[in-house]
Amino acid sequence: MTTNDTREITVTVDGRRETGVVSDRTLLVHWLRDALDKRGPKIGCDTGNCGACTVRWNGTLVKSCMVLAVQVDGDEIETAASLAEEDGTLSRLQQCFADHHALQCGYCTSGMLMTAADLLASGEEITEHSVRRALKGHVCRCTGYHNIVKAIRAAAGQEVPPPHGSEPREAEVR
Amino acid sequence: MLLPPLRYLRPETPEDAVAMLSDVDGSVVLAGGQTLMNMLKLDLAHPDALVDVHRIDALRGIEHDADGTLVVGAATTYAELARSPEVRRSHPAVAEMAAGLVDRQVRNRGTIGGNCCLNDPTSNYPPLMVALDARFRVLGRDGERRLPASEFFRGTLATAVGRGELLTTIEIPPMPQGSGVAHEHLQVGADSWAIARAVVRLDVADGVVADARAVLGAVYGSPLRLPEVERRLIGQRATPDLAEAADALQDVDVQTADDVHCSAAYRREMAEVQLRRAIRAAVERSVQ
Ligand SMILES: Cc1cc2nc3c(=O)[nH]c(=O)nc-3n(C[C@H](O)[C@H](O)[C@H](O)COP(=O)(O)OP(=O)(O)OC[C@H]3O[C@@H](n4cnc5c(N)ncnc54)[C@H](O)[C@@H]3O)c2cc1C
Ligand code: FES
Ligand code: FES
Repeated sequence: MTTNDTREITVTVDGRRETGVVSDRTLLVHWLRDALDKRGPKIGCDTGNCGACTVRWNGTLVKSCMVLAVQVDGDEIETAASLAEEDGTLSRLQQCFADHHALQCGYCTSGMLMTAADLLASGEEITEHSVRRALKGHVCRCTGYHNIVKAIRAAAGQEVPPPHGSEPREAEVR
Repeated sequence: MLLPPLRYLRPETPEDAVAMLSDVDGSVVLAGGQTLMNMLKLDLAHPDALVDVHRIDALRGIEHDADGTLVVGAATTYAELARSPEVRRSHPAVAEMAAGLVDRQVRNRGTIGGNCCLNDPTSNYPPLMVALDARFRVLGRDGERRLPASEFFRGTLATAVGRGELLTTIEIPPMPQGSGVAHEHLQVGADSWAIARAVVRLDVADGVVADARAVLGAVYGSPLRLPEVERRLIGQRATPDLAEAADALQDVDVQTADDVHCSAAYRREMAEVQLRRAIRAAVERSVQ
């Protein structure tokens, strides 16, 4: 059923076709979280500043609080839930976040992971500087960023200092 | 935040978009949405309908005319401009500006046309467009108008784009042989809002400045062109000493205001600093 300002949309979310009826004014982040129960994207600032809502739209990194659900009709959306294997095994990037203490409360984490995955897939050179610059659109109130940068560099195969207080071999495992 | 009730329209062509903008009461253009969405959320804009032009092929893309003019579709994103080898080669300042805008996600959505149509004092592109003598193609019901940057930017948050009209294309003339363009800004943080911004273009021939543009951004109203400074640059030898031309700013009534970041006086002082730096950098970049 579609009335003047609602319509049916079909979107492939994390590899699954999803159909829903949305009002034109519905933000993508609200549809993902409230209608589809995809809780990866978080609402932090709701003004495009914090990056907690970051997803990929047809392979392009965007903030889902700045996009309407109707805009992505017929398209593909990936949330952080798409990063792990189907059986729940964490991706190398996710495991590096865990190993390097790159999260505390976790609120910023799924957005950080999406940007990190996008950066790693881009073929851009991975350096301390390029990682920090890629994370410009994200805010983390817990970690102080250092461990997030280390985790991303480790996921790129770079040697980084082991996390504070860990057994030396813990960080060497991967 | 819940947006106010509105209708979403997606035209296929620039002409369809113009028809919708003229026929649907209270309709406005939605480009990258990286400002408009926030204006809706904060109740600063109250349109009844959004006309989404982001996917219209005719409004996207980067081309060069036979004479080297860079022709950019209004809905071309910052990311597309930043990674274009052709733009980096022909108009490096345009690509650099895009690469230093906001962040990875916003660069994927934000458009050069949206940036210019917003014409907020902190918008990155307007002063650069003035310095590069850009022309703006605006489509309306009665056909197309072509405006120079000096007529396009009309004041804070105001441009020559009227109701029912659409900016389709920005044309940037080829850079004269030997010219150097530099933009310098004092920003709140890396790739962030500018407190003060200056753009300088020096066309240098045989070591002498043949023509010059000096423009301030982040001031009240539109980008501020500085003929007083340009006069002091033209005809001079292109050496770093040219930065002294920025002294002329002391006689210019630069309109600006106190805001959360700084006082108007500080902003004025920093504008002069950026201008000096931009002159020096433009000298360095000019091929002599
Ligand atoms: C966190 C954050 C930080 C930012 N920091 C900066 C910054 O430092 N510097 C900066 O310059 N920008 C900044 N921006 C704004 C960003 O660059 C926007 O992308 C830009 O201002 C508008 O471009 P848009 O394509 O997103 O346009 P939209 O938001 O879609 O539209 C902006 C306005 O232009 C009109 N419009 C758009 N395209 C056309 C067209 N073709 N014809 C007629 N009218 C049109 C719209 O109707 C609207 O009024 C920031 C944004 C965010 C979210
Ligand atoms: S909630 Fe979207 S950027 Fe903060
Ligand atoms: S881990 Fe808490 S906000 Fe980043």
